[in-house]
Amino acid sequence: MKFKSTLAAVAAIAFSLTLASCGGSEKPSSTSSSSNSNGLIRVAFVAGITSDPFFRAMRLGAEEEAAKLGIDLIWTGSPTEYSPESQVPFVDAVLADQVDALILVPTDPDSLQVSVDKAIAQGVPVITVDTTVTDQSGLTAHITGDNIQGGALAAKTLAEQIGDEGEVFIISGSPTATTDSMRAQGFEEELAANYPGIKVVGTEYALSQPAKATSAVNTAMLNYPDLKGIFAINGTSGTGAVAALQGASNPGQIALIGYDAYANQVADLDNGVFTALIAQDPSQEARLALQDAKAAVTGEGKDKIERTVVIPNIVMTKANLADTRKYQYAE
Amino acid sequence: MTTLSAVKQGRAGPTGDDPTPAGPGWAKPLHRLRHHRQELILLLVLVAMTFLFAQLNPRFLSTAAAANIMQDFSPVLLTAVGQTFVIISGGIDLSVGSVLGLAGVICALTARAANQAGLPTGAGIGLAVMAGIVTGLLVGLVNGLLVSRVKLAPFIATLATMGAAYGTTLVVTNGVQIAGGPRAVILIGSKTYLGVFTAPVLVVLGVTAIAWLFLAKTRFGRYTYAIGSNRFAARVAGIGVKQHLVKVYLLSGVLAGLAGILVYFRLGSGSPSSGQGGELQAIAAAVIGGVSLAGGQGRLGGTILGAFIITAVISGLILIGVAPAWQQIVTGALIAVAVAVQAIGNPKRSVDL
Repeated sequence: MKFKSTLAAVAAIAFSLTLASCGGSEKPSSTSSSSNSNGLIRVAFVAGITSDPFFRAMRLGAEEEAAKLGIDLIWTGSPTEYSPESQVPFVDAVLADQVDALILVPTDPDSLQVSVDKAIAQGVPVITVDTTVTDQSGLTAHITGDNIQGGALAAKTLAEQIGDEGEVFIISGSPTATTDSMRAQGFEEELAANYPGIKVVGTEYALSQPAKATSAVNTAMLNYPDLKGIFAINGTSGTGAVAALQGASNPGQIALIGYDAYANQVADLDNGVFTALIAQDPSQEARLALQDAKAAVTGEGKDKIERTVVIPNIVMTKANLADTRKYQYAE
Repeated sequence: MTTLSAVKQGRAGPTGDDPTPAGPGWAKPLHRLRHHRQELILLLVLVAMTFLFAQLNPRFLSTAAAANIMQDFSPVLLTAVGQTFVIISGGIDLSVGSVLGLAGVICALTARAANQAGLPTGAGIGLAVMAGIVTGLLVGLVNGLLVSRVKLAPFIATLATMGAAYGTTLVVTNGVQIAGGPRAVILIGSKTYLGVFTAPVLVVLGVTAIAWLFLAKTRFGRYTYAIGSNRFAARVAGIGVKQHLVKVYLLSGVLAGLAGILVYFRLGSGSPSSGQGGELQAIAAAVIGGVSLAGGQGRLGGTILGAFIITAVISGLILIGVAPAWQQIVTGALIAVAVAVQAIGNPKRSVDL
């Protein structure tokens, strides 16, 4: 009995981990089977996680551009999870389907290297978007938003809002997500270099639970009564920080910088909880990637492809919202 | 071992082990104390922990810190209470985390729809709460039927609904945070009474008290223990095992749904990723509290302390400035220690897992 139930407990944990990591599967959105059957270039776009508005904004940009360029776009990727285990099968599937070009948001720089090398060996041009792989020598192009620059921009914006001194707190998403750590790195480096009076008093992680971020921010406000600002590095931590500040006894006294421009975040910027948002431009990333894919496949303008394109981030504040609202992620 | 007739007639104690010794009146409380050594040990752990944290950062004892802990504690407590009933009945409910997430977003979607339709705030919030509870009930019903009628192992049945509930969450939200409810939600969720308790937290404490009475004092509780100790014997004794199991999973579902509503009130919006991993926290709280995964054994008092310890320790570690990765190591070690101590000085049984 005892052994059996111990086994059950171990299995319980193992199973729920497995379940969490297999996620689900989503069929490619285009089902054309033979290459060039309708004379169009077939380009596969494997996103990080298809259910996220960031990638949905990317998809809208991609679909628009595909229609304009006469590309048969196969948009696919794991619907539930941003991880290499769930992404690799989708990449393998589109390569087996003999697409003309592959646009990929690698969920891990090393794990996806094999798939990228395989594509290149098959003569399929590969363009990475948003994130990239370790060995970029075979890539046609890499198009990205700059997370370090975004973090630095957040630091600069925060310094403008709180003055050049005070205590600030970082609430991040996960210690293993490179985008999160790069944003934090950019933020801390910028503060250290140009704003020595601003001190980062701590970093906590939401680990995909907004309520955890709420607790962490509440605790930080308790521990540092003079806290001047908070940098919420991703969407989840932003949601949690917003809830904490709305429940605080002194709302409006702490500057809150968020990252990304989901509809809810923009609404919270508009009603004054976020004091600024650092927005990326995913649809622009997608458009450039498709242009490069077409050039690489047809050879037309191939020599003009820029190997690395960094799309700068945008600072959205309540004051400039009229001009910057267009960067809100499409849903 | 409790006799079956005793179970039916309601003479069996909640744990169903050693009978109350005959003796002078003063011996009884002493015996009861020994009977609750599990809870005593956990109380000692809690006191030691509180003392340590308060030494390192006196703010640990402030009302603001307490309010924060109560808010973290409440959803874990609710799912752990449901889990306690299920585990005592000999099953397990892996779906509670996903149900929490689903109920939270259904609640948020309803609140938003009511808000946009121009319903009065109170009515909208009422509808949203109902929708969240119904969500929990539905998933609980499916679990109960899968376990009792389709005869799936509870582990597999609830593993299936865990995946399905999370998938449904993603379908109905498209993976997006659901905001746009009435502003009153976050005000209700953050206004504290006596500096510590928000209204939702008070509701949770009330619900827990009722559940405690249910498990310890009523026929419902006795049947749950009886089924978990020996399902066959329970059936022979005339207990409607199937019907009872459905009720137990319904209860767990409803409590997880309530937990989702609670998180919604705290955040003021519904998050599709809320509750992930919540099932393991609920199971951990119950096991720390002395609920045996083999079924038939455990008390709600232990679960309450278990849930409180695993939430208070995180808050304390943040307050004393322990780095996030170390927080997880300390929490893991604490679970192992809390369970291991229970076996010390108890030669009759090691801790059943």
